[in-house]
Amino acid sequence: MTQTDHVVYVYGVVPASERPPAGLAGVGREGNPVRHVASPKVAAIVSDVSRAPLGRGQDIRAHWRVLDDAVERSAVLPLRFGTVMDSDTAVRDDFLTPNEERLTTQLAGLEGKVQLSVRGSYREEALLHEVVRTAPAVRRLRERTQKVPQAAAYYDMIRLGELVSAEIDRCREHDTGLVVERLGGLAVASHADAHTTKESGVNVAFLVERGRVDAFAAALPRLQGELGERIRLRCVGPLPPYSFTDQDVGEPAWA
Amino acid sequence: MAVASAGAGYLQRPGGGGTLADVIDIILDKGLVIDAYVRVSLIGIEILTIDARIVIASVDTYLRFAEAVNRLDLQAADDSQGLPELMESVTSGGAKSKTQGALEGVKEKLFDGDDGEDDKDDKEKSQQKSRSRRRTSRSRNKDDEE
Repeated sequence: MTQTDHVVYVYGVVPASERPPAGLAGVGREGNPVRHVASPKVAAIVSDVSRAPLGRGQDIRAHWRVLDDAVERSAVLPLRFGTVMDSDTAVRDDFLTPNEERLTTQLAGLEGKVQLSVRGSYREEALLHEVVRTAPAVRRLRERTQKVPQAAAYYDMIRLGELVSAEIDRCREHDTGLVVERLGGLAVASHADAHTTKESGVNVAFLVERGRVDAFAAALPRLQGELGERIRLRCVGPLPPYSFTDQDVGEPAWA
Repeated sequence: MAVASAGAGYLQRPGGGGTLADVIDIILDKGLVIDAYVRVSLIGIEILTIDARIVIASVDTYLRFAEAVNRLDLQAADDSQGLPELMESVTSGGAKSKTQGALEGVKEKLFDGDDGEDDKDDKEKSQQKSRSRRRTSRSRNKDDEE
């Protein structure tokens, strides 16, 4: 195997005092064992992969599993899915050693905290009913377009759709705001993640002390009641702090 | 962790029985980025680059919204007011097919329950290859600027 066939996949960073997981298979078709590459203070969780595209469902699951395992035992700084380096030496000398202080500081900040992702999916029927009920302009245009053949109402239909779309955006803003307001007090930080599906109404990641996870979960039913039936709220977690690693490292000093 | 609180039912661990879509959503584009100066490469991103991740407003979307709104049976909703349970069954059951489409998640369709099935994954990969190339070159440009 030549050097270029084979790279080191990096999952994340943990304190060097942590022991590598036993018997955990990594990403890639080979599922090579997960191990650590350590500098004095921090350790990278890695496994060997052949230089072939990843991205199968299994790979994503493996990436997830490794970090999930790590966060159960210590603070962990997840790296972006698909990060590989040339060799263990590169991981140590180019990544860990020059960034040791920053990585240590970031890990210390994440100690004892987990991510909880609050996601709300709109129920289309209930949402649209509410839009028609609360937006007079939508109601008027709806009545008008219903009276004429669809082809004749083409531009009105587009306008109607635009109005509905804008109303849904307002609902998103409102519902996201309410979620952050009600749950923010139970969290250390929050981060509004992008909406990745059309039915997504709320997608907020919270960084929560482990000891407050129960209290956080307990606040959800009431919040669901407050938001009403147009949205179905759920909370994914506890997770590694995927949305709270925005201080990227290795940037040139002038960036 | 045994959580006995009232909200325990809201907590989900997608690592176990959850959908792959959830996992992808939470992982993708998240996490520490090591700068290109340290000889890092990202592999495998192509298949994960899904245009549907960006909720695009288009004429097509607008028309689907308009049609969905026009199909609404407002009378039925009025009748069921004050009967939340009935409303619930309407929204999650029979009426769903009527409005199918306007808020449909493309990603759910792509990844619906597929987990780790190589053939299907490969198929998806080829379907998304052309799109991903665009994305890849875009992110490269971004790297260059930084």
